[in-house]
Order: sequence, then structure tokens, then C-alpha cells
Amino acid sequence: MPSKSNVLACSCIVLLMLLGNSVFAQKTVTGRVISNADKQPIASATVQVKGSKVGVQTAADGTFSVTSPKDIGTLVISVVGFETVQVPVGGKTSLGDIGLATSATSLNDIVVTGYTTQKKKDITGAVTVVDTKALKAVPGASPDQLLQGQAAGVQVLATGQPGAASQINIRGITSLGNNNPLYIIDGVQADFHDINPNDVESIQVLKDAGSAAIYGVQGSNGVIVITTKKGRSGRATISYDATAGVQEPIGGNPLHLLNTPQYLEMSKRLGTNTTLYSAPNWVLPDYVFSDQVSGSRGIGNQGDPAVDPSKYNFTADHSADYLIFKVNKQGTDWFHETFKQAFQQNHTVTVSGGGDKGTYLFSVNYTDQNGTLLNTYLKRYSVRLNTTTTVKNHIRIGENAYVFYKNNPLFANLWENSAIQHVYYSQPIIPVYDIGGNYAGSWDGPNMGNGDNPVADVKRFGRDNKTNQWDILGNMFAEVDFLKHFTIRTSFGGTIDNQYSTSFSPTPYEQFESHNLANTFTEKSEYNSTWLWTNTLQYKNVFAEKHSVSVLVGTEAKDGYGRHVEGTRNDFSATLSNDPNYWVLTNGTDNQVNSSYATQNYSLYSLFGRLDYAFADKYLFGATFRRDGASVLASNVRYGNFPSVSVGWRISGEEFMKDVVWINELKLRASWGKLGSVLNVPGANAYNAYGQSTQSSYYSINGSSNSSVPGYLQTQIGNAGTTWEKDKLENIGLDAVLFKNKVTFTAEYFIKSIDGLLILGNPPAVVGYAPPPFLNAGNMQNKGFELSAAYHGTVNNDLHYNIGLNFTSYKNKMITIPGTKYVDLAASRQGNLVRLREGQPVGAFYGYEVERLFRDSADVANSPTQADAAAGRFKFRDISGPNGKPDGVIDAYDKTTIGNPNPKFTYGINLGVTYKNWEISTFLYGSYGNQIYNETRYWTDFYGSFAGNKSLDLLNNSWTPTNLNAKTPVLESNGSASTNNSASSYFVEPGSFLKMRYLKVAYSLTPSVLKSTGIDRLTLYVQATNLFQITKYTGIDPEIQGPGSANGALPNNYVSGAFGIDYGNYPNNQRGYLVGINLSF
Amino acid sequence: MNKNNYKIAICAFFVMIVAVIACKKSFLDKPLVGPVTQASLANKSGVEALLIGAYSLLDGVGAAGTTGVPGLTAPSGSGGVWEGSADDWIFSSVPGGDDHKGSFQQDQGAYFLPVQAYNTTPDNLYLNDKWIIVYESVNRCNTVLKTMALAKDLSPADTTEIRAEAVFLRGIYHLEGKKMWKNIPYIDESIDISKNNYLVSNTIDAWPGIEADFKYAAANLPATQQQIGRANSWAAKAFLAKCYMFEGNYTDAYTLIKDIIANGQTSGGQKYQLLAHYGDNFNAATKNNAEAVFSAQMSVRDNAGGQNGNGGDVLNFPYGGPTTCCGFNQPSYSLANSFKTDPATGLPLLDNFNDFDIKSDEGIASWADPTKPDTFQTYTGTLDPRIDWSLGRRGIPYLDWGLPPGQSWIRDQTNAGPYSPIKQVVTKAQQATLAEAYGGWASNQATANNYAYIRFADVLLWAAECATEANDLVAATGYVNQVRDRNSDPSGWVHQYPKNAAGIQDPSLGTTNIPAANYKIGLYPTFASQDYARKAIRFERKIELSSEGMRFFDLVRWGIADVELNAYVAHETGYNHSFNQSSATPSVKYIFYDPLGTPNGALYGVPVTPAAQFVKGKSEYYAIPQAQIDASRGPDGKSSLTQNPGYN
Repeated sequence: MPSKSNVLACSCIVLLMLLGNSVFAQKTVTGRVISNADKQPIASATVQVKGSKVGVQTAADGTFSVTSPKDIGTLVISVVGFETVQVPVGGKTSLGDIGLATSATSLNDIVVTGYTTQKKKDITGAVTVVDTKALKAVPGASPDQLLQGQAAGVQVLATGQPGAASQINIRGITSLGNNNPLYIIDGVQADFHDINPNDVESIQVLKDAGSAAIYGVQGSNGVIVITTKKGRSGRATISYDATAGVQEPIGGNPLHLLNTPQYLEMSKRLGTNTTLYSAPNWVLPDYVFSDQVSGSRGIGNQGDPAVDPSKYNFTADHSADYLIFKVNKQGTDWFHETFKQAFQQNHTVTVSGGGDKGTYLFSVNYTDQNGTLLNTYLKRYSVRLNTTTTVKNHIRIGENAYVFYKNNPLFANLWENSAIQHVYYSQPIIPVYDIGGNYAGSWDGPNMGNGDNPVADVKRFGRDNKTNQWDILGNMFAEVDFLKHFTIRTSFGGTIDNQYSTSFSPTPYEQFESHNLANTFTEKSEYNSTWLWTNTLQYKNVFAEKHSVSVLVGTEAKDGYGRHVEGTRNDFSATLSNDPNYWVLTNGTDNQVNSSYATQNYSLYSLFGRLDYAFADKYLFGATFRRDGASVLASNVRYGNFPSVSVGWRISGEEFMKDVVWINELKLRASWGKLGSVLNVPGANAYNAYGQSTQSSYYSINGSSNSSVPGYLQTQIGNAGTTWEKDKLENIGLDAVLFKNKVTFTAEYFIKSIDGLLILGNPPAVVGYAPPPFLNAGNMQNKGFELSAAYHGTVNNDLHYNIGLNFTSYKNKMITIPGTKYVDLAASRQGNLVRLREGQPVGAFYGYEVERLFRDSADVANSPTQADAAAGRFKFRDISGPNGKPDGVIDAYDKTTIGNPNPKFTYGINLGVTYKNWEISTFLYGSYGNQIYNETRYWTDFYGSFAGNKSLDLLNNSWTPTNLNAKTPVLESNGSASTNNSASSYFVEPGSFLKMRYLKVAYSLTPSVLKSTGIDRLTLYVQATNLFQITKYTGIDPEIQGPGSANGALPNNYVSGAFGIDYGNYPNNQRGYLVGINLSF
Repeated sequence: MNKNNYKIAICAFFVMIVAVIACKKSFLDKPLVGPVTQASLANKSGVEALLIGAYSLLDGVGAAGTTGVPGLTAPSGSGGVWEGSADDWIFSSVPGGDDHKGSFQQDQGAYFLPVQAYNTTPDNLYLNDKWIIVYESVNRCNTVLKTMALAKDLSPADTTEIRAEAVFLRGIYHLEGKKMWKNIPYIDESIDISKNNYLVSNTIDAWPGIEADFKYAAANLPATQQQIGRANSWAAKAFLAKCYMFEGNYTDAYTLIKDIIANGQTSGGQKYQLLAHYGDNFNAATKNNAEAVFSAQMSVRDNAGGQNGNGGDVLNFPYGGPTTCCGFNQPSYSLANSFKTDPATGLPLLDNFNDFDIKSDEGIASWADPTKPDTFQTYTGTLDPRIDWSLGRRGIPYLDWGLPPGQSWIRDQTNAGPYSPIKQVVTKAQQATLAEAYGGWASNQATANNYAYIRFADVLLWAAECATEANDLVAATGYVNQVRDRNSDPSGWVHQYPKNAAGIQDPSLGTTNIPAANYKIGLYPTFASQDYARKAIRFERKIELSSEGMRFFDLVRWGIADVELNAYVAHETGYNHSFNQSSATPSVKYIFYDPLGTPNGALYGVPVTPAAQFVKGKSEYYAIPQAQIDASRGPDGKSSLTQNPGYN
């Protein structure tokens, strides 16, 4: 197929044509821009020659050198957070220090939006410009997690696991599958997650149709536009930014678990007489043992022959193991054996500079972040090179390139069998190590359940799982100005990522069920690439001084491809298998399995345009249009059109507002438009597809016990009619700047309607069980309100303060679900925990409502019929019946919505005070009104649900005939449909929280002090994270992501449909202490 | 500004647009990578490969993760693996009284306990999984037929052969659903999602469709096959006979069965006959033998991670010894008692078998010191020798794995009793070749033991039933005695291991010819009456075919499930075993009452309702899964599926 090479060839031709050169004579003015408040140099300020296109940006030390072919009359200096000033040059060549006053307003800021830039005051869409200074003050390795609470309308659920992605949704969940916004990094669509935060120059969030509809079928989840730093004209500067610190595990008993004496007391009350916890004396043995040869396992006291240390035997292949451990009579605190203090450091060196012919910026980063869960870590090395070259004055050519390499093995958080689950699944009687210094576990003695030793799990995981990923992302571009008002731009870029991992699973000799399992080694490799070629032509002009017009048209082509290969073998030599150098597939002797698959190739071709018109700087009008063709859709439904219109009225520009002095700016705006999403259409969705599976379609037709014959099965039911999810988005916004520019204020209200929501077809099983196609079947609606406000106060010349606040709320509702009228998600040991229903929000928990605990047998007899009803168990509410009315029977008709994981609102508060050289800042983040389904309580509040550890509530506050209003049901050996076997409101808890993300104290040395050292700027700081958290939630951390497809919980295309279910969460509320430095010279 | 520049730029822009548009059409057409389309399979080799795919679900495993949401893993740890098990242990052996659920009470409790207590609800995910497995299996057969219709390179003989095999399998899969739910839709190859004709009613009797499939297969399949796993005409006839048995059509059944007994042979050409040794039916090394009328083939160590092994039984091992998971499917007290024989006649105690339990080690600590003989003494009364091929018990050789030490091989004895399953377990000597870990779980959980859908002993006992209904009691007695008689040969019994120096039986020393227990089996004199014959045959089926997935469906077929199973429940719960879903009845003392007295100064035992109870007119068939009813609604909101009686 020639298309890819054609497109590449075309792009080369264009680039060649754009080249050219010539030289002009020029005039130069220099100076330095500083802040009036702290006298610190201001980097990145724009210095523009008034009345011309000539402009530069200040370097890190605040200096600039601007050169113009004509005489320079006045310079306009502007930068985010400061008042814009106009400085008459008056024939001077050096202007010295130019002081800027801080300002709350940013309405004149140039904002990078869809394919173009606009002044903030001209924007008619809902665009949030993130305060990158506040964002970067949050410690973290990934910009996605730093975005939390920094932009109204953007919700971020982060996790404490180093390197794990945050879940970001803009204006709520608008799709059941991939709900990620579109990230545009310097014009390229790429993942934001591994960008070095230090490289980020600006972040804009496009939230409504007016701003995002120009991204058409990729815009419905919102768009985050990121620009990275560029070099500036002037002398080269070098800066060094670094942090180092530690993170502390949560203290106390976060899962409220029993220690050994308490566990024994519980066993005693239950009367579960076993070898280990035995009546009538209830005295624990000193040791337990397990003999692999005879198969016997038992207990012994000091001196007993069975636990004589000389019998201890640990063999390489475990065939003759005789394991003994000393019973931990105090109790193992598995949480704090598994979570330990963790060190982290982060270093960035940036070199940048440039002249009148071009700029460069080169940065190198090393990130080394350890997680508190043993052996979880992120190590990342990255390099960035951004350059631009100006040819003649009207041609600009440049590139942005970013390369990173990382090691970041991720484990499945929030799911059964995670190490965190085994923290509460492992009995306290088991020590970490046995008497031989090897891992102790549930196999080593009787009656200890089948939990894993979580320390063994994480240590093996860390030792035996290696991941390598290296990505390249970036683009090259050329821009030509011509005919005074036109600019043509072409950009070709993309991403290439490679992932390579190896993982070895040794025989978990101490684990009950798997202690005999053969060791296994798996080696995997994956490669993905995308390219994106964008061409735009822009026309800008002002007619009759009142009619400002800007028109942009463009084309875009995108293509993606990927492949994956892996191999597995078992039974590596027992004696050699402890040596990681031995781990290659060739050395395995059994179960030789290999496989590969390809990501379905996909491509997108688009035409788009936008028109911005302003009359007299007061009446603003914008319109965008995009036409997309997507390869994942069948050819007859492949093309879609996405229009939007937006209007703005700068009320403050009207004559009648001139006298209202306290209003500096006031703009009312509204937008309407259509967007779409094809993210959730699987590549083969349009096809009836067939494939092979060794496990599901091979069969030993010849009767052999050791071989099977390949067969085929249907792997996909196709639907050629499936198309994108269609979103209609309406938005009203108000921007204000008040009180001498001290206060900025933005409020937005939106209604987002998703029509043709992609829902997995649900035909009855009689048509087979190949995955059915996604159909455009449902409707969903989000309504929301967003608010952001900032205040910049000045007490005197030395003391300044600022307050930033943002507020995000949305209300989600499933409007229609065709066919069954519901979709069940999140299967668990208690049945499905989530049912999407018409009229209910996405992710709503589903089950019985617990009225109270049954008081006694008479209470049971007088209540509706309920399976397994008994005193001390849950009395469920009789809500309905076959006829829609309570019918005296508790059955499936009585299940209802029992909780909502969507918060009513989330909010972020930034506070800062500067006094002379000192700065104190803090950031608080909160979520209100979200609920959590605490599945950990299925395991810990019911003795019958697996023989792991249990909760203090079960021991101390469970039902008895004299404790009728107990916290937990009766302490009993067994489970039942009236206790743990049914999903119910018992497990639903309030999940509101407020976290102080950080508190930071910084000291900047006075420039005059530094002058002799050659240093332009030096700031030192100390920072503490998560100093406090306010929540009523009883689990580890109420900030809970969805279970995700990686955990097998949900199919890929439903990952956004269920969240807030806690199986034991990698906490993101741990205290940490950091020291940091920012240095430039 | 150089004027040439903008001309170049404008030209460039148009070149770009033209280039991209020129590329556009093919640029957006992306072929499938990896999977193929139906057209690619519409040829002889493609259709044959689809047929293998249809065979591959005979083990009941492999129809994706089955929870009602494709791709969504089933309730943690289930994965749609065991609900579909070919041997129906969940839906027949356990509720039929052969076995307890096993494990500890809560394991798989939310879905399994209601099955065991005869009160499944329509939202039970196990039922939906089973339904999905049945109909995905049916669909694979139909896919063969639909694709074959598009193929052009098949000879008429090929077409007939492939059709016969596909409809044979389709018959088996429908029969599976028919036994479970009675009211099921019959789906043939005319049903297709693209034709929007898939809302098929379940109130139209499926028997004619199932019978027609087996009749076509019987008429068109050859008597022998190159590959032992393929269906032959005799297998089709045996399944047709099975249908007749379930329909109560003894006349047609008898005619067919007599032909099968006289002339039937396996696909490998062996004449059907009973094996000399009962235990060889459950040995992976002797599978596909003359007694195996039709089997689901199992293979391990075939680079599928164990998943072509006997995955449906992956849980059904002692919780120690051969493997460490998962202690399910533990034989019941009543089953063990059923092997008691009259010391004089060697005949089973048809009426009194459950008067007392044979001695077990319930509540007794394990044999802990392997250097000294176990002090536990096994039951000394006379027993049918089949008992120790049918269940594992303390002190009796468990294949070549040694003497079960008691509780330490049992996951939770107080919940599920002292017995271990055995029929699908491989020997220790075989573990390196005939067993494998199942998908990286515990070792030896996947075995190469086939599951015989129909054994010749099964056919003989049907013949006995038919003869009884034809009032030919001599013939009936003869068939039953034929099944019993092979067990008279002591060489087919379980034998003790030789003793080592310490006087302990040691499996590593081989075996002896000393019977492991006091075995005694005798033959029936001619049945005295039809009633007695029925009782004797039904009992014989219980002990001959125990834990092979027959019992519950047999009891329902005979119309005696309510009486038999409620008596069974009463027996098992009366002995303080947490058999009920609800774990306690008023007579049970050990759950809510503290056995030590009063640590809290109070006893607070509470009766629990409802207990396990078989409700006549309801419990014979399972609830139609609500998810399927909901998915089968037409535009008018009405479902094409009608719920079974008693479940609304």
C-alpha cells in the first residue's frame, strides 16, 4: 500500500520548498525584566516591538535582546501573572531593569488552542489555562498527576504507585470505555504521562465545543494542549532543578486488622476448633511445620521432634522441603512489613539559548521514584531537544524531540491477588520469614488459609520483573508567512514506543495452593507507532480597524500500528533458577508457549477549518468545522462532520461600562457544537472475525494425551453500522477581572449530551459467545458547573499573597440503554457490583439496601421472606416485586442503586504568600459526595469469606443478642446470602476527602548577592506532602481509580463504567518530605 | 517579501492537499491483522478446522470468560471454567447427592450454595455461564454448517460427513441444556444475528430437533473413524437412546440399545464391552477403551498451559496429597454408605444403606507422624469394591499417592465431610506426563483423564431399565448383574501397599494383592417385581456412575427427585455437616453455639430458613438465566424466553 510512503514523500517536498535564505540589516535593544514584588528576574516574558511582528522572550535571567530591521519606538512586555507594560525606547540600546507589577489578569496572554493561538480575551470557548507554576510546585514525576485540582472541569484520580497512570476525565465520564482526553503536545498527539514536568511551558484544557470541536471525532473527551519550553534569544542559560526526599508509609493499622491474640480470641468465640487454633485450652503452638516428603503438616512446641530445627530442610527444587516457622504470637503487621519508607530524587538540567536566527533548548532528566510498597519504582531518563530556525524573517523551521527510557514494573492495584490484598488476606500468626530465613507462608502449617505472604510477593515481583520502555515523540515543522496576512504551516510528527519485559515466577514454596508450581519465565516485546501529518493555512487581518478576522483551514492524516510478541517456558533448572542471568527462554524445558498479535492498524483523515471574527473588540464570533474519516468504521459510516459556533460579548468594552471602575474585564460567552469519539470502537468491530486459540479451539481429536489439533472459533461478531459516539455540547461562560485586576473569575455551565453511546451489543447467547460488536445504542448526559477564581493581594512591597480556587461539578445520568435497559459490570464474589441503569449515574453501585440487623428469630419471622435470614444478619429492604410493588419477598426485584461513586464536586485550593525572599505555598485538593464500595470488608468483616485476617469490628462490635445495633453482623463461621454473599449497602461508605497535597517553604537568594558568583537565580525549598487528610472513609485511601482492564475486571471498552471499588488501594495520601533546588546561570 | 515565496507556498499547499486526497481512499481501508473472515474459512480445511473448534467445547471449557459480559472475567476465580464441566458435577453430582460442594462453606458460595440447596435464582451467574457455554457450543456447530454452505471445494461425501459430525455435536450440546432447563430454544444453522431471527421461543419442545440431529448422525456417520475422538454412528445411536430414556420412550430406546449392545463398536473399531477392571475407566492411560462409547478428549502438556486438560474438574482434588487445590466435590456420607453390602449376599442395602454412617475420621485429627502407623481403623463391614475407586478415604490407598492422612487432605472437614474425589485424579507415576498445572495455578490440576459422556455400563443399565418397563425381569437382572459381575474379580479391587520396616504401608514399594478393605459383592437373583427391579437398577446406577454427572438428572427423569433428595438432605444435615446452603438447621449445634460453653456468657444459636429443600414441580429444572431472558426481548419488551415454573 503506497499511502504512507506517499504522504512522507509529500511532506519532504513541502519542506524543501519552504527553505530559502537571505539577510537584513538590523537594530538591537537589550534589557532585563524583573518582578516588582521580589526583584527576581522573570523568564519567558514576551518582549514585542510595538506595531511589528518582531518579538523575543526573556531568558531565565530575565534578559532579552530584541532586534528589528526598523527603529524601535516602544516595547510591549507581557507575561503570565504580570501587568503588561509599554516601555518607550527613546533611542537607547540598553533599557536596564524593567519592573513588572504582579497581576491577576491574564486576559492578554497568548493561548495555544486548536491549531492556532489566541489572546485569552478573544477566546469564545471554554478554555482553562493551567497555572503551570502552581502545577509544578506539586511533587510528582508525571504531569497527569500534577494536574489534579489545578483546572476547573478536570478531574484527576491518581494513585500512589510510582509511574502508574492517573485517570483523567474532563467534564465527567462521557463514555463507558476509554475516557481519556486527547493530548496535543507541541502539535503531536501523544501520551502526556511520561513528559518531564520541568519541560512543560503551558497547558491549556479545551472543554467545550467552541474550543474542542475542531478536533472532531477525537475531541469529545476534551483536549489538553501542552507546549514545551523553547529556547530564547539571548545568551545561553543553564538551569538545574532537583528534588530529593522520602515518603513514609501510612501509620497505625489502616485496615483495622487483628493481631495474633485478637485472632485467637475470635477463633475462641467462634469455637472453630482446628489443629492450630485448638480447644479447649486455646494456646498457640510455638512452631508449625510442613514436610513435603510425607505430606504431613502440623504444629509443635519447643523441643518437639517434629519442629526440631535440625529437621529444617530447604531444597532447590522444593521436593524435599521440611519447612518450620516460629509462630508470631504478637502478630505480623503485614501492612508495615510490605510498605516501607521510600526514597525519591529528580534532576533536570536545561540548557537553552538562541540568537536572531534561531533558538534551542536541551534538557536532560533523571527521575528515580521508589514507592512505599516494596520494590515498586519508576526510573526514567529523558532527553529533550527543541529547536527553531528563522530563515529570512518569514520562514520558521523547527523540531521538538523527546526521548525517554524507563523501568517501571506495574502491579495490578485494586484487585484480588494484589500484594495489597494479601496484606489482609494473610493471617497475623505467619511471620515474614521461617527459621531458615526463607519466606514463611500458608503452606508451612495447618489452618492458615491460602493467602500469600505479601512480602514474598512484592520482593519476588521486584526482583523478577524487569520492564524496559523507550519512546520517541516529537515533530518537525515549517511555517511561512506570506502576502502579509497568510501563514502556512506543515508539521509531521508522531510517536514510537517499544516495551520489553521479562518476568520470572519462581516456585512459591511457602504458598499453600501454588507451593508445587513449576517456575515460569515470560519474555515480551511490543512495538507501537503513530504518525500525524498536519497542514494549515491561516489568514489574519483587521479591516477598517474594527473587523478582526482570522481564518484557518487544514488537513490532517494519522496512522497507527503496533505488534506484540511473547514467549513462556516452565521448569527451569531448580539449582540455577535463582540466577537472573540464567533467565532466557531457551533454558526452560516445559510448556513452551509463544504468541504474537498485531494492533489493528488504524488511520484517520481530516479536513478542518475555523473562523474567528471580532467586531470592535467587543463582539466575538467563532466557528469551527471538521470532517473526519476513520478506518475503524465501515466505509459507509466512516465520515463525520463536526461543527461548532461560539459567541462572546466583552461587556467591559461597552461605553456604559467605562464608569464601572471595579470591573476591569467582563465577558459573557456561549458555545454550541458537536464532537465525537471513536476511541472505543475496537479495530475489528465491523468484521465477523475468526481466529484460533490453543485453549478454546484446539482439541485432541486423535485421542492423544499430549497433543491437540488446531481449530477455529469466531472471535468477533461484526457490525458494519457502528459509528462514533456523538456528543452535543452547550456551554455558557463568564469571565471577569475585578478590583484593579486583583481578582479573576470564571464560571461555566455546560450540558453535554452523548448520543449513540457505544455499548456492547447484548444479543442472547443463542447467537454464540464471540464478543458482540459495540453498537451506538445508549444516551448519556452530563450537566455541570465550574468555577475558578484567583486573588492576588499586596499588603506592602515586601508582602504579597495569592489565593487560587477551582471547583468542578458534574451530574451524570444514563438516559437510555436499549434492549435490556441495564448493563452489569464489575463481577465479584458477591455478584455484579455495578449496574448501569436508565436515570442513574454511570458507575452506580447495585445491590440490596440494608435496613438493619435482624434482632431475633421473631424479627425474622415477621419480616419479608429472605434467603438465609437469621438473627444478627442483614435485614434487606423490600423495595419491589414482579408487579413493581413490595411483595414480602426479598429477591432480585429488591436490588437497587445503593451508591454513587461520582463526586458531587471536586475542588482545589492554591494558597501562597511571599515575604521578601521567602515564599510559602500550599495546595489542597478535595472531593465531596463520592461513595466507595469497600470490597475489602467482604474479606475482613466476615469470618466465612476466606481464612485471611479479620477486622477489629468483627471481633469487638459484631452482633450478639445484647448488641443489637452492632457494626458488623453476627460472628459466625459461615457466610450466607443474608450477609457477605450479596452486594449490599453495608459495603458502601462515604468517600469524601480533603487532602493537603503539599506545603512548601522556599527561599530565593537576592540577585545582588548572587551576582559575584555568576548565578542568576537560586531558590532552595523544603516541602512536605499530604500533611493531613480529612475523610470518614475507613479504607486505606478514598482516592480510588477504576479497576481497569489490566486487572481482568472489565473488558477494555467498559473501563470507565465501574470505579470506586476498593480491594485495597495503593495509597496516594502518604506523607513525604522533600528538599529542592532551582538554580540557573 | 519575495513574491516568489508565496507562489511557492501556495503551490506547496495545494500539492499537499492533492497528495493527501489522492492517498485517501486506500489510506482509510485497513485489513484485519491476525483474525480472518468467514470467506477465508469457506473451504475444506477451514470448515474442518471450525469443526475441531466445535469438538473442543465437549469438555465444557473454553467459551470465553462467561459472566454475561463478553471479555469480562467471571466471578473471581471462576472464569467460566467449572460451570460448564462436561461431567456436570455442579449441576448433577452435587445436587444429586453424590457429592457435597466441598471446600469451605463460603468458597464459590454466592453461586454454588443455592445450587446445592435447590433454590437457584434467575440471577445466579453460574446458570448464565452454563447457558452461555451450551449455546456457544451449539453456535460453533452451526458456524461449521453456515461456513460449509459457502465452501465450493467439498465433495458430497465430505459435506455429509461434516454435517453428520456437526449435528451430532449440536445434539449433545442441546441435550445438555435440555437436562438442565427442559424449556430451551432449539437453535439450528438458520438462526443468525445478521438475519435478526434469533429470538427463538423456549416453549417449543426441543426434543424433535435434538432427535433429528442424532438420527441424521446415526444414519450418515461411519462405524469407525480414523481419529478416535470423532463421533461414529454407534455413538450417535447411543445418544439417541439417551434421548429416548429422558423422554421415557423405553420401547424405541430398547430396540436401539439392544442393537448397540449386540453390534456397537467404538470409533477405533473395538466392540463395546465392559473393561475387566472398573478402575481403568478413570485412568488417563487406559482411556478411549472398549467401554468408552463417547468421550470428551483431554490433553495436557500440549503447550496450552494445561487448558485442554480436564478443566471442568480443576477444583475437584483433595486439599493435599496429589495437589493442593481446591477440595471441592467431596463425596457425601450417603454415597459412601451406598457401597455397604449385605455380608451374606454382597448385595447393596437398598432400603437401609443410610441407617448408620460407615466409620469415618470426621472430627479426628490427622495422621501426623508418618514414622508410626496411623491409629485410625477403617470401617470393617462389607463394602462394594467400587467404593475405593469412587472416593478417597482415610487409610485406604489413594491410587499410588499413599494413604490419605485425614483432615490434612481435606480443606474444611466440618463443612464438607471426610471424603475426597478420586475419579479424575491421575496417579503419582503419571503426573509428569498426564497432568499439568492449570493456567499457572496449583500443580496437577489439569489432567488428561477423559470424561466419558456415555460408558457401556451406562448403556447396559439403560437396557435393564427398558427390560424392566417391558416387564422382562430376567433380562433386566442379567444386565444389572453384567455390570456388577466384573467387580467380583479381586484383581480389579484396590489393594494395600506393601509394608515397610516400620510396619507402615508404603506406596513406593508397589502394591500387594491384599484387598484394602472388606470387599464383598454378589449378583442379584432374578428381580422379584418391576418395583424391586426399578429400585435395584436405580441404586446400581448411583454406585456404578457416581460423581459422573448422572444422578440429579436420573432422579428427575424417574420423577423421584423430591423424595430421594429430601431424604438425602435430612441425612446429611442430621449428622452435623454444613450441607445446607444456610449452614445450620435447628438440630445443628456447631455453628452458632459455642461448643465450649459460654465465653460471652450467652448462647445465641439461631435457626436459619430456608434450609435446603427440593420443591416438587420447581426444583427439577433450573431457573432460566434472567440475563438471557432480558437479552431476548423484542421491540415490544416481551422476551422469547419463558421462565421455568416456580422461579418468578
